[in-house]
Amino acid sequence: MNTSVTRNASAVFTYGFLGLMAFLSVFPFIWMVLGATNSSIDIIKGNLLPGEALATNVGNFFTLVNVPLVFWNSAKVTILATVLTLAVSSLAGYGFEMFRSRQRERVYRVMLLTLMIPFAALMIPLFIMMGKSGLINTHLAVVLPSIGSAFVIFYFRQSTKAFPSELRDAAKVDGLKEWQIFLFIYVPVMRSTYAAAFIIVFMTAWNNYLWPLIVLQSNETKTITLVISSLASAYYPDYGVVMVGTILATLPTLAVFFFMQRQFVQGMLGSVK
Amino acid sequence: MDILARAYLPRIAGLALASASFLAVTAAEAKEITIWCWDPNFNVAIMKEAGARYTKKHADVTFNVVDFAKTDVEQKLQTGLASGTADALPDIVLIEDYGAQKYLQSFPGAFAPLSGTVDYSGFAPYKVEVMTLDGQVYGMPFDSGVTGLYYRKDYLEQAGFKPEDMQNLTWDRFIEIGRQVETKTGKKMMGLDPNDAGLVRIMMQSAGQWYFDKEGKTNITGNAALKAALETVGKIMQADIYKAANGWSDWVGTFTSGDVATVMAGVWITGTVKAQPDQAGKWGVAPIPTLGIEGATHASNLGGSSWYVLESSAEKAEAIDFLNEIYAKDIDFYQKILQERGAVGSLLAARGGAAYEAADPFFGGEKVWQNFSDWLAKVPSVNYGVFTNEADLAVTAQLPALTQGMPVDEALKAIESEISGQIQ
Repeated sequence: MNTSVTRNASAVFTYGFLGLMAFLSVFPFIWMVLGATNSSIDIIKGNLLPGEALATNVGNFFTLVNVPLVFWNSAKVTILATVLTLAVSSLAGYGFEMFRSRQRERVYRVMLLTLMIPFAALMIPLFIMMGKSGLINTHLAVVLPSIGSAFVIFYFRQSTKAFPSELRDAAKVDGLKEWQIFLFIYVPVMRSTYAAAFIIVFMTAWNNYLWPLIVLQSNETKTITLVISSLASAYYPDYGVVMVGTILATLPTLAVFFFMQRQFVQGMLGSVK
Repeated sequence: MDILARAYLPRIAGLALASASFLAVTAAEAKEITIWCWDPNFNVAIMKEAGARYTKKHADVTFNVVDFAKTDVEQKLQTGLASGTADALPDIVLIEDYGAQKYLQSFPGAFAPLSGTVDYSGFAPYKVEVMTLDGQVYGMPFDSGVTGLYYRKDYLEQAGFKPEDMQNLTWDRFIEIGRQVETKTGKKMMGLDPNDAGLVRIMMQSAGQWYFDKEGKTNITGNAALKAALETVGKIMQADIYKAANGWSDWVGTFTSGDVATVMAGVWITGTVKAQPDQAGKWGVAPIPTLGIEGATHASNLGGSSWYVLESSAEKAEAIDFLNEIYAKDIDFYQKILQERGAVGSLLAARGGAAYEAADPFFGGEKVWQNFSDWLAKVPSVNYGVFTNEADLAVTAQLPALTQGMPVDEALKAIESEISGQIQ
């Protein structure tokens, strides 16, 4: 009797707490969706009921913003950054774990140290570099600095520790070259690690704001984050339109996450069982 | 995999080359003026209109108006100037007046002086002061933040006040009226965001002073206008005639929802006031109250911005000629931007046009634009200095203590020490 009361009480507490936390995380989304259906004034007044302004807001968003171009720009930058980052950083993570040398740990530590430098401090030197290479206002300038990501290299190296060296040895005996081992053995075995890294890199690249802001100069090259920021900072922002923009900007990351959720969780738990 | 790479690599390389040469072509195309500004419905739209007017007469000059968020424009400008990468900068950039001196003084030689070309005597003097450094004038004055006291005629009438009673107010009288409005109608007199020093700035400039004196030195403890302003804000808070607002949208909500009887802000708020069609005919505009100290006036300013031409611009001559021809001479342009965007420019001659002379039915047929234009010419000139934003933060930090009865002189000392700590 007593124990079941305690158990019930703790269950109530657990579900109550989880429910509250779930509500806190989901509420901004709900508000975003409801906001898209309301006029700006109603949003400011705090109206939390569905309104009738959805069509107007969507219409205004599409007149104010060249939607296909902006999404194409974001997609281009994100896909390039994701593919290149995964290729370069996984190779580096593999290399760091597989090849022994005396300097390895030193180089690795210095690389990890770069994680501590805030991007704001790197911005001006990086900008000068891009200026000298004539890359200002190109998407290449947005992509290049991100592809050697210390964090992703770290992540791949940690995951590679679980990669059985017997597999590599066996492959060597069978006469595979190192790049073949990487491509045909390592990549397929580590695919959930790749999936998890893909989601992380994709989200970072899609939401990237500061660097594209600095390096992109014209309406033709702007990504979705810059466009929303500019809409939201008007003297009298039309919040309904901003909400429509935010929903559209959230969809790709949501889609990627839902499609790859299973692999993501597996990747986080470790690729190799 | 290997074959794929081999097949596609030349194509990718070709594409990269093609896009590089495409960029080179656009860069070489002469006489496109690039402009950075920040509000798609306001200065971006206005600049597009200005550009279209100029292109009509000068077919060889076209415009590329790029909009970023305001803080983003500042960040990009700062990075571009600091890195010395000139080709990363636009030809014309919009800078908020409060920050103008910071850019002019931190990056000497970065902006083109316009003194020789533009006749500045036609502009509101305080706008010209903002962009003057060492005898040179650098910008083209744009939108004004000349202030007014917007009031709900219906609420004030219920409380027993006529529009005549709202003219030539002092702040003490304003607070007195506020008390009566609350007893008779249950409405608060104004919305007030305790984390926004805007009201303090309005009061201070109306008496011709600022956080900094004409030489740019910190002017806090000996600043009679700032002292009177803080005292007044303290009185407003103690009299409890305000509805507290948390942030800008919330503050706007205090009057769009009809919860308060007055709004005090720059003329740019007019569009938001008028955005409530059900409140048409219920609003009036009066000059702001005076502080009642020496030099105090009924005119002040809140916000506003101006255009600057970059010295490094390849199209410098065209950019200057464009600004001069449209913004310093085209009266008709000012009518159009007033009608369509609610923008009050700083060119005093604009008041002669049809839009400025029209009566506004929303304000019960008052000629509000003529009034604003009168006040515009009377706004006292002050030096916004380099650190207005830092000073603002220091003032905001002391506002809560003031309401709890901290003596104003002590607050001034605290503000001064915080500012000198910040700008060292």
